[in-house]
Amino acid sequence: MKREISVLMDGEMFEDEADVLLDKLKRHPEADRDWAAYHLIGDALRQPEHVTSDFMAAFHERLQNEPVILAPRRRQQQRIKQYALSAAASVMALALVAWLSMQVGQEPPPQMASVQEPNMVRPVAFHASDYLMAHQEFSPSADMQGAATYIHSVAAK
Amino acid sequence: MRNQIAKVGVLFALLPLWAAVAQADPLLDDADWLRTMAFAAHETNYSGVFVYQAGGRVETSRITHVVDEHGEHERLQGLDGQRREVIRNNDQVWLQLGDKKVHFEQQRPRRAFPALLPEQIQSLKENYNVIQQEEDRVADYHAHTLLLQPKDTLRYTRKMWAHSESGLLLKAAVLDERGKVIEQYAFTQLQIGGEIECKWAVPSAEDAARLARRKHLSPLPNNNLANVSSGWQVDGVPPGFKKILEMSRNMRDKKFPVVHIVYSDGLAALSVFVERATDADGYSAGLKSQGAVHIYSRLSGDHLVTVVGELPPRAVIQVADSVRYAGDKDE
Repeated sequence: MKREISVLMDGEMFEDEADVLLDKLKRHPEADRDWAAYHLIGDALRQPEHVTSDFMAAFHERLQNEPVILAPRRRQQQRIKQYALSAAASVMALALVAWLSMQVGQEPPPQMASVQEPNMVRPVAFHASDYLMAHQEFSPSADMQGAATYIHSVAAK
Repeated sequence: MRNQIAKVGVLFALLPLWAAVAQADPLLDDADWLRTMAFAAHETNYSGVFVYQAGGRVETSRITHVVDEHGEHERLQGLDGQRREVIRNNDQVWLQLGDKKVHFEQQRPRRAFPALLPEQIQSLKENYNVIQQEEDRVADYHAHTLLLQPKDTLRYTRKMWAHSESGLLLKAAVLDERGKVIEQYAFTQLQIGGEIECKWAVPSAEDAARLARRKHLSPLPNNNLANVSSGWQVDGVPPGFKKILEMSRNMRDKKFPVVHIVYSDGLAALSVFVERATDADGYSAGLKSQGAVHIYSRLSGDHLVTVVGELPPRAVIQVADSVRYAGDKDE
């Protein structure tokens, strides 16, 4: 299959043959590596200064590090949901929803407690800067860092 | 230049012993370094560009700090993306994000000197191993390196690079227990002393007018800094953290005063805010973070508890989860 991939990349394959090969590639994920390797070889021959052999790995890592938005439930939204349902549903359904919301409670969802990685966490929102500013007034490390501490309040979101 | 000479003069007059030691820096003790750094952050005129890196993001800012007969002025300008700026004139702070400009009034007038109290240094040494490391060079300045290694995993490790002559912090990094950098910043270009442009230090007419209107309405509640008991109990504070103060303060856009309790281990600080939660507040529960600072909010009955600290997330969450109302003990 390696030879076929090479032929395809060189643009020397007939269309119907190419379709068959592409189908094969889809079914054999292990052929992805050959596909990437041949492209890397091609790139290296053409412009060696731009070669990145671990693009997929780097991309995968960056994707993993993207912040996950953990949007907690808000009281108000919950209430709106209840109203919407009560308009449409029977008294039984309303009772059920009320019961469920009591079970859910006002606490943040439990997965919050297990969040450990700082880069999985939401960036600080604007109103949070109020707490940050108030906090910094009394932080000894802020005392040593001077104005640089304000970076926490103005860092890009 | 004359200003600079005057400054050096003041330094010598105030701290004959200390300044003398600073000249013979190999003998400078760790605590002296910490004190020198805190002193330099407030008393040095400087302007430069620094790079801040946290959570895979890198950004550049310009920082300017000037001390004159009117006090301390500092400005932080984001150089990338949308307009972001902080200007502080003594206890008045303006924060500008995009088109939005917000004014803050600092509750604590900056202590003149020393910036770090002896008991803070002592508590810091109880919780961290302070290690002087190899000398280095940052932004073309000779620097001394200080490693502050926590004695447990409930706080972060810090590494600091201080300018060998002035003590100004040139570079700082916060690391987790595995040695991974949580955030760091470093000057890439820096001017210490000399002529520094500071027209911005004069508040704009608009700001001045706003201040004039506000001044009589909300005088700095210095008397609030005294220890008051709010009845709120925080049991989950990591070992080594001591309560610095407890007060009731007004905050922007809040109808009711907010209880603010501050703890510190000598280096990191932990703030606990407790306020009445009303539906209109639009609060959001959960964990947010900016570099090494984490904010965690949760509802406790009718109250919103918010904990802010330069501590690992689990420590911040642990503290927030332990906040409870124990009633008015004084009554």
